[in-house]
Amino acid sequence: MSPAMNQFELNTTIANLRDLRESDLRDYDGVYLGDIYCRIYEANFLEQLGDLKEGLRILQDQGKRAYVTTYAGPRNDFLPKVRKMLEASATAGAQAVEVHNLGILKIAHDEFPQLPMHIGGFANVYTAPGVEVLRGFGAVRFTPNYELSLDEINEITAACGAPMELLVHGKMPLGISDYCFLLEYEEKWGIKCPDLCQKELFLKQGDWAMKSVGKGILSGKDVCMLEHLPRLLSEGHRHFRIETVSESPAYRSEVASVYRAALERVAAGDGEVDEGWWDTVRRHARIGLCNGFYFGRSGMDYAGIRPDAIGSLLTISRAES
Amino acid sequence: MSGMTAPVLLAPAGSLEAVRAALDAGADAVYVGLKGWSRGGARRELAWDELAAAQREAASARRRLQVAINTIPKPQERAQLFERIPALLEAGIDEVIVNDIGILAALRRRFPGLRLTAGIGCGAQTVADVAFFRDAGAHAVVLPGTVSPTEMREIRTVRGIAVEIMIHMVEEFVLLGKCWMPSYVHFKSSPLPSLSRSQTGHESDAPEGALSGLRQTGSMKRGGVGACFRICQQSWELYAGGRRVDARLFPSRQISRIAEVKAYAEAGVDVLKLQGRSLPVGLLAPLVRRYREAIDGPTAPAADETRSAALPATWAVVGR
Repeated sequence: MSPAMNQFELNTTIANLRDLRESDLRDYDGVYLGDIYCRIYEANFLEQLGDLKEGLRILQDQGKRAYVTTYAGPRNDFLPKVRKMLEASATAGAQAVEVHNLGILKIAHDEFPQLPMHIGGFANVYTAPGVEVLRGFGAVRFTPNYELSLDEINEITAACGAPMELLVHGKMPLGISDYCFLLEYEEKWGIKCPDLCQKELFLKQGDWAMKSVGKGILSGKDVCMLEHLPRLLSEGHRHFRIETVSESPAYRSEVASVYRAALERVAAGDGEVDEGWWDTVRRHARIGLCNGFYFGRSGMDYAGIRPDAIGSLLTISRAES
Repeated sequence: MSGMTAPVLLAPAGSLEAVRAALDAGADAVYVGLKGWSRGGARRELAWDELAAAQREAASARRRLQVAINTIPKPQERAQLFERIPALLEAGIDEVIVNDIGILAALRRRFPGLRLTAGIGCGAQTVADVAFFRDAGAHAVVLPGTVSPTEMREIRTVRGIAVEIMIHMVEEFVLLGKCWMPSYVHFKSSPLPSLSRSQTGHESDAPEGALSGLRQTGSMKRGGVGACFRICQQSWELYAGGRRVDARLFPSRQISRIAEVKAYAEAGVDVLKLQGRSLPVGLLAPLVRRYREAIDGPTAPAADETRSAALPATWAVVGR
């Protein structure tokens, strides 16, 4: 049986201590600390273990669930630091660690069995048998692969009762690379790493757009499930994520405020969406809104009663720099 | 290659003719796709009767055949696929490549006679990944050619699982198994492949059309009937702060580490795997022959070959 509708959890991701300190987290229940894409992302919690402990303390002091995420595409030479990061997380009281990589899951399971594991979207959970395998390695919560529809996610849940954490808003991860092509622009732009990926960078071809964060590729449009929250709650989902790792503190707090209010309203039996909420999410969406793959369509499609939600607000200048 | 066990040379084949060519060129084993169930689309897959013929060819040459069933089927498809496995085993094919940890575990439980390889789409790169797949029941795991011989030496400290290196492959910008850019742009339902009695020896277990729409064209992981739309190979305009600043392609490279065949062998790699089920026979045969010679030859390839096989400096993994 699912928990009561008002027992939902709204989470986000923050990469470093500066961002954490600048963010108003009042509308979140939990935060995942760390950048999953790049070891040299500015002051990445996953490399700055003193910052990680401080970040976990800040979250705990605010009464938040304090989670840590981990690298999505590690190589052998990451693993000693990953072990230290897991140890720091365990000793500093992290309530769970999110893993996107199955080798890190094994390390955590073997060496830090007291740490609950959440499975991230890059771990490629596509099937109920896959969930069962990962449970055997200590996984307790799952973000299914982003390509799955809600119907497919619900089939998995029905088959094995696994709690899912669903991206409800923000830019959806689409891929990860071993290589940062932004480094090719250091000289041309006069900007050094790790400041390069702090710029707002989009890759466009016609109507398609994706956001680049160096080694990571995200959807250009923001996934928005605001008007579909009644369905998510009624189908038993209680763990939700607003993906803000590459967003500003204003985005992080204002979008959370919308979703907190909307979720509470749905839990109280009213699915009405305020016009002001739409204004907020559209203002922060640089390219427009989409539903990801939740309705079995292309990830950048939007399905719903608000077709105006897909309109682009980004004014692109054709001027060459 | 004296003083050590030579690694197995595993070649791709997208047709029965290619299977023969690969065997003739010196492959120790060949992998093929089962029509409708392998990544990459129907053009590079073998129908059931071709598969049986390929197995006969491999067996008569005392070589091995692996079959890729490396899409990730939905539950209804999964049941249909699993019903075909006994026929594979009856044909003498007991080595399959899969792409999902759940499918791997389910096959292991139901068909303990199968030898299961966690395919390159499983995304394994590290010593810990290899240990994970061993514990999960895989007999072998495929690593990308971006993994160096030095990394391989550490990886081979994991016992109880064979390790394959995709020593000849295209490295796309996004890591294999970690990309759903194509389906972000295009994604549509597609009918299941036709599986008639003549192909499988089994009647379809569902009314005609009942399973249509289950496949998702556009997903590299779930496709099987269509194609990845190669988003990563298309030209993009890069915008910074709302201004168009460049037009570019994602970087990609052909990896051909033939000069490091012996280094991989010394590191303990079990299988040298070549990518390219879509390669025409005219290209496949000399490729396989080159690697055969590199494995069997007494000396390392010439210096110029070493240079061409090395990764460009700009593609060395930066900033990890």
